Amino acid sequence: MKCLDWKEKISGYIDGEISSEEARQVEAHLETCGECRTLERRMRAIGTGVARVETDVPPDFREKLFTRLEAEELLPRRRSLFVFSLRWAAVPLAVAASVAVFLFVSPEKGKDAGAPQPTATSSKVSPQAESQPSNAAPGKGQPVATAAAGLSVEEREIVANLEVLEDPAAIDEQGDPDTIEIFEPSVRRQG
Amino acid sequence: MRTDEELMELYRRGSRDAFEMLFARYHRKVIHFAYRMTGDEAKAEEAAQETFLRVARAAPTWQPTARFSTWMYTIARRTTLNFLRDEKDEGDKVSIPPGEESGDGSPAPQLPGPSALNPEEIAWSAEIQVRFAAALQQLPESYRSAFVLNRGEGLSYEEVASVLGITVQAVKSRIFRAREMLMESLSELLP
Ligand SMILES: [Zn+2]
Repeated sequence: MKCLDWKEKISGYIDGEISSEEARQVEAHLETCGECRTLERRMRAIGTGVARVETDVPPDFREKLFTRLEAEELLPRRRSLFVFSLRWAAVPLAVAASVAVFLFVSPEKGKDAGAPQPTATSSKVSPQAESQPSNAAPGKGQPVATAAAGLSVEEREIVANLEVLEDPAAIDEQGDPDTIEIFEPSVRRQG
Repeated sequence: MRTDEELMELYRRGSRDAFEMLFARYHRKVIHFAYRMTGDEAKAEEAAQETFLRVARAAPTWQPTARFSTWMYTIARRTTLNFLRDEKDEGDKVSIPPGEESGDGSPAPQLPGPSALNPEEIAWSAEIQVRFAAALQQLPESYRSAFVLNRGEGLSYEEVASVLGITVQAVKSRIFRAREMLMESLSELLP
């Protein structure tokens, strides 16, 4: 085989796209042929160079894109801040409710185990709500994806930029990661 | 960590976070790809924006059986093609790449010596990057896209074949031809 006939094989060899048998043949030829070794080196350099052709991400790239996506209604809106503020308010509300119930109950039978136990019980977004997103008003009640587990550095960077930060502690890693736990203010549940 | 396909499915079901994750994973890649394909920062940015818009618009037709990355690169490549065609339609002059002998006696920029691209010891410089980006533009688009997808984006020959809708053998040959042409035009930079 002439060196000319090795050329394309060497290209495939560099890219790891030839069989191991062919690779052995290429390697054997490279050991004996200086011309093809030079060719291989130059071919590799070309590939390395192309991979290094990069440009900076413009600082406003994300903002521009997301504005356009939102204008076309291609991006589900975040749930209203009201929902989230309720969520964040859940813990203090639950504490307040406990205190209130305690104050209410304790004069009679403070240690009554049968007394209502207002806890910050968390309940998942109902599966029905998730399986019937079409029933929901546009942009509302969308299933919220959380994939905070196992994020790359880059993903964390984006998550850090989210308008409303999800609380990683609220994500049930064992459970269905498609849903997040939402604190329902217990005062409401007890009506 | 969620796969791209899982994220795409979640986005289709209305998850904004899933789209944010996909954006975090791919926006740099798409911008670099578009830059390698167009050799122009402004066009690369615009093509990358357009790619994500098209991904979002086409999400309802996306088949979960398809690999997200190859599907996305198919869109990205078509988008960059449109930008290149638009340029031709407008009758823009083909710009003379920096450093090319343009015949008007303008001196080529000072470049590092031949060892600059030794893969073991690369002294990458902005000038070399510009030369590479320009040399890529001289390739036929079909060679450029095959080579960039493989060496730049890390797609296998099979994935490149899927993006370009050609056979693996055709990919192999286009990449080889791209290497040959680039080795010729960048000859003095190579080890
Ligand atoms: Zn040889």
